[in-house]
Amino acid sequence: MAMTAYLVLFLAGFAGSFHCIGMCGGFACALGRDPRGPAATLTRHLLYNSGRVTSYCFLGVIAGALGQAICTSAGPSASPLDGSVDLAQRLLAIVAGLLMVTIGLQFFGVIKGFHPFAVGIGGSSFASTLRRVLKAPGRGAPLAFGVFNGLLPCPLVYAFLAQAASTAGALPGLLTMLAFGLGTFPAMFMMGGLGSAIGRPWRLRGVRLAGLFILLLGLVTLGRGVLPNGLLHGEHLV
Amino acid sequence: MSAHETSLCSHCLLPAGRRPVRQRLNGEEHIFCCYGCRIAFEVKHGRGEESEAAWLLVRIGVGAFLSMNIMLLSLLVYTGTFVGPDAYVLPWVHALMWLFATPAMVILGGPFLGEALRGAMEGRLTSSALIVIGVAAAYLYSAFAVLEGSTHVYFDTASMVLMLFTLGRYLEAESRAKAARDLEPLLAAENANATIVADGVETQRPVRDVARDMLVRVRPGELIPVDGVVAEGEANVDEAMITGESRPVAKAPGMPVIAGSINFDGALLVRCCCTGADTRWGNICQSVRDALSHRSSTQRIADRIVSISVPLVLALSGLTIAYWVQSEPFDRALLIGLAVLVVACPCAVGLAAPLATTLGIGRLARRGCLLREPELLETLATLRCVAFDKTGTLTTGSPHVTAIYTDRAGLDEVLSYSSGLERHSVHALAKAVTVAAVERGVRPLEAQAVRAIPGRGIRGMVDGVPAAVGSAALMCDLGWPLSLKLREHARGSEADGRSLVHVGWDGRVRGVLALEDVPRPEARTAVEALQSRGLYAILLTGDGTGSARDIATAVGIDEIEAGLSPEAKREALSRIRGSRGPVAMVGDGLNDGPVLADADVGVAVGSATDLAREAAALTLPENGFWMLPWVIDVARAVRRTILTNLLWAFGYNLVALTAAAIGLLQPILAAAVMAGSSLLVVMNSLRLARVPDPQPAELAARRSFHQDTPPNTSAVKAEYQPTA
Repeated sequence: MAMTAYLVLFLAGFAGSFHCIGMCGGFACALGRDPRGPAATLTRHLLYNSGRVTSYCFLGVIAGALGQAICTSAGPSASPLDGSVDLAQRLLAIVAGLLMVTIGLQFFGVIKGFHPFAVGIGGSSFASTLRRVLKAPGRGAPLAFGVFNGLLPCPLVYAFLAQAASTAGALPGLLTMLAFGLGTFPAMFMMGGLGSAIGRPWRLRGVRLAGLFILLLGLVTLGRGVLPNGLLHGEHLV
Repeated sequence: MSAHETSLCSHCLLPAGRRPVRQRLNGEEHIFCCYGCRIAFEVKHGRGEESEAAWLLVRIGVGAFLSMNIMLLSLLVYTGTFVGPDAYVLPWVHALMWLFATPAMVILGGPFLGEALRGAMEGRLTSSALIVIGVAAAYLYSAFAVLEGSTHVYFDTASMVLMLFTLGRYLEAESRAKAARDLEPLLAAENANATIVADGVETQRPVRDVARDMLVRVRPGELIPVDGVVAEGEANVDEAMITGESRPVAKAPGMPVIAGSINFDGALLVRCCCTGADTRWGNICQSVRDALSHRSSTQRIADRIVSISVPLVLALSGLTIAYWVQSEPFDRALLIGLAVLVVACPCAVGLAAPLATTLGIGRLARRGCLLREPELLETLATLRCVAFDKTGTLTTGSPHVTAIYTDRAGLDEVLSYSSGLERHSVHALAKAVTVAAVERGVRPLEAQAVRAIPGRGIRGMVDGVPAAVGSAALMCDLGWPLSLKLREHARGSEADGRSLVHVGWDGRVRGVLALEDVPRPEARTAVEALQSRGLYAILLTGDGTGSARDIATAVGIDEIEAGLSPEAKREALSRIRGSRGPVAMVGDGLNDGPVLADADVGVAVGSATDLAREAAALTLPENGFWMLPWVIDVARAVRRTILTNLLWAFGYNLVALTAAAIGLLQPILAAAVMAGSSLLVVMNSLRLARVPDPQPAELAARRSFHQDTPPNTSAVKAEYQPTA
């Protein structure tokens, strides 16, 4: 059961990565090929992506642990992915679900201008920092670049962080972001390796698809908060 | 490099202290006050792919990668993921953390270890040593715990403390550089380049290679590197740094430009009128650099506190561990001790004063007000009294005709005869006489056979009769009699310190013109502004009581001490200091050098002489007398900032230290709190940019009618005015 949930997250990440291509794909392209050959290029992009995914996972664990802290402080702890859901967890699910639905709708252009953290204080200096790391030589650079990149403000990441928090557990939080992160692997790899253009219509379709996934996940999460116990998990109904 | 002599940090332009970090970059030796500045500087100035700047950022990035992995695993452990049936993986998780932690220690801890060792070699414990000791303790303890199979593993603490401190230092250096950007044009003279145009070819050369009559191209947005005359092009330039004038000045071919002005909007071709090394801008830069390299007494005290507190903190941390180990397991006591070590790091205390004074000095210098050393900012802020010299300070220093006494002639007649002759003279008094004639609408008479008599005056034929204008001695030489009434007036005026011009024609003296200095138009508003800031104004002059009283009444000063010799002025100053407190002396610096040097703050108005500059603590630009109240405002704002910074830093350290010692503060939290403390001090100091720019006198005059309450010097109230 849990596996299917993470598979959905993986797919959502995969679809969502077409959104990333617009922004992070540029970075992957800029990282480019290693003159030392395809193996080195592969290492470079592997390092970059693991840096990125590590940042996601770190955020995921924190979100999950935070969710767990909220739930355990509110009542007896419950294993997050089985059906027994207490009130705090329901509230958490509702908040997270609403957030995800909002972000999902934003991907369709229904809601505009929802960029809460995008215009941060140090935005421009952060960008110049990234630029510098990108140009740096050595094996560590792609890794560091990936780490910074993973911390860039991104609605997609926020959506999945909301999901991670709603799982109310450090490990599920980690796995949520890991699944999402791995989902973004193929597209980013493709961008880096091929460095070629994926047509604009395709990208748009990808973004829509990502929005759909987030919307669905958001609704499911919302459902966990609103609907009676176990309704969304078939085996418990039997 | 010049940065070497005066030891300013290449990045944030603060004094680099006794143990600067040295680094060669782009072939130049740089020194830095801290590790954070070094990173930030290299990030900004590093060129090319090989730049170490990027490498330092990579270091942070890789460190973050490792720390995040450790943190991630630790959080999983803390939230109870590996309990029950999964407990068998726990040792492996710990080993994995160890694997991540070891390179993290090397990568992030290396620079701190380096600083600590450099300090240790000079026999001192630095705050880096605190971090190194704490982190090393946590790491080694955890490593032994893993080997023993114990579950008390604190790699997360060790790596996150390092990560947070590195990040904090980097951010702090970044925001300090933001402050330094304002100072850059003030220190740029020595390293400035000029684009020299010769035979249609442009070459970049250091400004000291520029010779007379060379042509220099200045593009929009650039600093004008040389004194000269515009040969081609038109532009608006900002001369505030030299003249204090805040409005842009339009320049067209044939007009002079000053080195250090900023060219706003047009391309200019400038013909140099002196060598590039010999500009007022260069002097200003030298003066600012000198001022910045001095340390104020507050700073010395703060430094002393920092150097004392490091061993103290170490001892306190040891005691904390010793205390807690009696009631708690050793690892818990160790963590509490570590929190104490980390949170007591007195970085913010050392930072409280220099940033604020640097900003203050820079702010003043950008308007042409040069301060000799940072300490004077504090003196300026605590002034109780301002003493003024008269001539050239409160007055324009150029005479005006204030009275005309006549004998058997009309007033206009006297003026038309005298101006008829004086038109041919270039003497300062002669000019004043022709100006007086123009002001009264009197037409000067034609004069023939005009002859100047050196030291006496001028004579010639006016309207067919012999006429003369000049001193009483000239009239005496000519044998022209002076009536008793005129003699009386002349004696009275002279006693009041007025200058006299005698006018005679047709064999007798017909009139005496009394000339005197008039107050500067902005003097009254400036004096009122000072009084509204709670300062007592007093006039000290060597001139006679009469003219001193006139001027004092005109500018609104109540107390006068006239007829003072320079020695008596100094005595008067020390008397005032005794009765009222710290006193500033404002003069033109020409003949009152010793008096200026004797005051708590000597203020010289106008570029004056080098001697005056030596004696004066504060030099205001030519005609910059009106800026004095603003200077006081800035000084007070700086003082307030330093006090709030110190209060904050000490209070914060004390509260956090207490919390840590009783075991309420996690070490990681403590590190975050410490980094935040320094950042807050920096932010608070940056608020100094919000002290409003000085208002030119005429604006201030208009405003002062609406202002009943003394103006609040609060930095917050005024809107932020960006300086170009």
